[in-house]
Amino acid sequence: MMHVQNRQLVVPGDLIAEGQYRLRDGVFREGNMIYSSVVGLTELREREVRVIPLQGKYMPLRDDVVVGVVVDAYISGWTLDLNSPYTGKLFVSSLLGRKVDLNREDISKYLSMGDVVLVRVEDVDEELNVMLGAGEPGLGRINEGKLMDISPMKVPRVLGKKGSMLNVLEGTTGCRLTVGQNGRVVISGKDQRMVNAAVEALLMIEREAHTSGLTDRVRLMLEKTKIGGS
Amino acid sequence: MDKPEKLMVDGKRLDGRAPEELRPLKIVAGILERADGSAYVEMGNNKVFAAVYGPREMHPRHDAKPDMAVLRCRYSMAPFSVDDRKRPGPDRRSMEISKVTREALAPVLFPELYPRSVVDVFIEILQADAGTRTAGINAASVALADAGIPMKDLVASVAVGKVEGTIVLDLTKVEDQYGTTDMPMAIIPRKKVITLLQMDGHLTGEEFSRAIDLAFQGCQKIYEAQRQALKEKYEVRRED
Amino acid sequence: MAEIVAKVKRDYIVSLAQQDKRTDGRALDQIRQASIKKGLIQTANGSARVKLGKTHVLVGVKLGKGEPFPDTPNSGILMVNSELLPMASPTFESGPPREESVELSRVVDRGIRESETIALDKLAIKSGEEVWTVFIDMDVLDHDGNLIDAAALAAMAALLNVKPPEDEAWTLPEFPIVQRPVAVTVAKINGKLLVDPDLEEEQVMDARLTLITKEDGSLCAMQKGGIGYFTQEEVAQAYSLAKEKAVELRKLLG
Repeated sequence: MMHVQNRQLVVPGDLIAEGQYRLRDGVFREGNMIYSSVVGLTELREREVRVIPLQGKYMPLRDDVVVGVVVDAYISGWTLDLNSPYTGKLFVSSLLGRKVDLNREDISKYLSMGDVVLVRVEDVDEELNVMLGAGEPGLGRINEGKLMDISPMKVPRVLGKKGSMLNVLEGTTGCRLTVGQNGRVVISGKDQRMVNAAVEALLMIEREAHTSGLTDRVRLMLEKTKIGGS
Repeated sequence: MDKPEKLMVDGKRLDGRAPEELRPLKIVAGILERADGSAYVEMGNNKVFAAVYGPREMHPRHDAKPDMAVLRCRYSMAPFSVDDRKRPGPDRRSMEISKVTREALAPVLFPELYPRSVVDVFIEILQADAGTRTAGINAASVALADAGIPMKDLVASVAVGKVEGTIVLDLTKVEDQYGTTDMPMAIIPRKKVITLLQMDGHLTGEEFSRAIDLAFQGCQKIYEAQRQALKEKYEVRRED
Repeated sequence: MAEIVAKVKRDYIVSLAQQDKRTDGRALDQIRQASIKKGLIQTANGSARVKLGKTHVLVGVKLGKGEPFPDTPNSGILMVNSELLPMASPTFESGPPREESVELSRVVDRGIRESETIALDKLAIKSGEEVWTVFIDMDVLDHDGNLIDAAALAAMAALLNVKPPEDEAWTLPEFPIVQRPVAVTVAKINGKLLVDPDLEEEQVMDARLTLITKEDGSLCAMQKGGIGYFTQEEVAQAYSLAKEKAVELRKLLG
């Protein structure tokens, strides 16, 4: 039995449902009762309940593609900051997709401190030790563009249903956006003004993620900027 | 301030309140920009900020727990927050309050969700008028929820005292100074259990029981205000 | 407490508690073997040593002269301090006071101060200029749990042991003690309430509640500790227990 409506704003401790439902994120069970653990919007399905958090940190999940920043280096690899309470480890063999003879090669030529790298989360253990990989095409060091952080909770909104929002962003600005699941976005484009417009658009999405009609408003805002007004 | 002749006149307290009445309460969620979560609380003349950073990596690493998050709390009073300037820096009172504040909030968290990390709670009292630790806990709870840290419930807190034989709710500075008893309490409202309980002064068994009842009532009202504050932060934006 | 309790030990203590039993064979409402010895330290005005099970605390009381606080010109001053000596436990290190030490000092202080145990208003030497200061310094020598009760008891015994100083500024016939508050700590383990927790019980408990009562059973100070919680019924139960046990401990003060 549900105690709330769908897409209702709830806070920690609010009673969501009673009975046998499958629990996803943002909820917990005490006996037969299911409560919200976060400030968020309810998402209720026939057999499962969830509260989509409106705020929170990125928790590394296997198979996520994320944008990391090199913060430490050692003999066989690097530590990447993932905009998360947890850093990830990238071994040089996982970056290159091949075995490396550490006696022969000095790996510092591949990555150095501060480099921005697009990686995939290969494995996360119970202590949240994160192993990263970049051996597939499309991944690896990102050499240019503007890096910005948005709330990881808003990433689905930045992508949109079937990529609809991302299409608007890239289509109208002419920029290329690399969006990591961890809320890190790299915007690259020749026109600095349009890069800035993309930044504005992302901030707007972050602020208004939980409202409706957002995709159209973003398109409108970007087209205005393109024409020269704002 | 000199001791007033009477603290209760015709069943009303010096500030006009009835014994079971709370002081005016204001709570704003998400008031700071950099912190992961924050809140501002006014309880009577108390003005309090709380900020939360975390979960984040714990330094020094060896203080981290391999299978759960560590909660750290720092309660601090600004030098200008009290009548006689307080020397900056932690003193013994602040250390004790930091400890009991942490112990009041810890029971509602899910530490196993964030191994090896730390959640830092900072409470700053900018203006003090008795009950600062309770205002701090009320602010910290809202700040934790604002940061998106999963919680079993919010924690609500209020102090009860005894003034000229009457048990009263939410003491002012004068009542705390010249009354006989000060009993701060914090609860998990949904479960009706007590996570902070301290007392100094004098209470008979019966008075003790009445004091706890009154504290529960006060905490429930504060809880409603905390929930409202969190909803308000997001509801305003939904009105598009 | 940085020591990690082996899960097997934790489970053992918890399951015993479910059967109303404890590892040392005590009943849930039983205090450990307690002893008080007074007057061991000649350089102090008063002193006492308490052994509560294996927990061992020594308290010295010294009287000094000082300036009164501006708003209480005729009142003596009470200062309570504690040291968790490194010898007392592998987890105590030298250094600035940890929060446990601060809490210990402040709770014992409140027990004595709020109950008005010492007639501080009799301790003025010259109004507004000089008053007697009572320094209570508590040294924890061995930590096997429940430092608060042991230290509070030792502090009370040391106060009762104070002989007035040989000083012409001292004009009272004796040291003015008018009340004997006693602290009793109740720990909660899996819903059961246990009096006077030992170290292992403290490491495993959900929370503890210390209640300090006067001779007439009224409450003068209270402190909840630990990251668990209490229901209202448990608090009432703990108060009942504390009142009863305080009477037992008070008899030891002599």
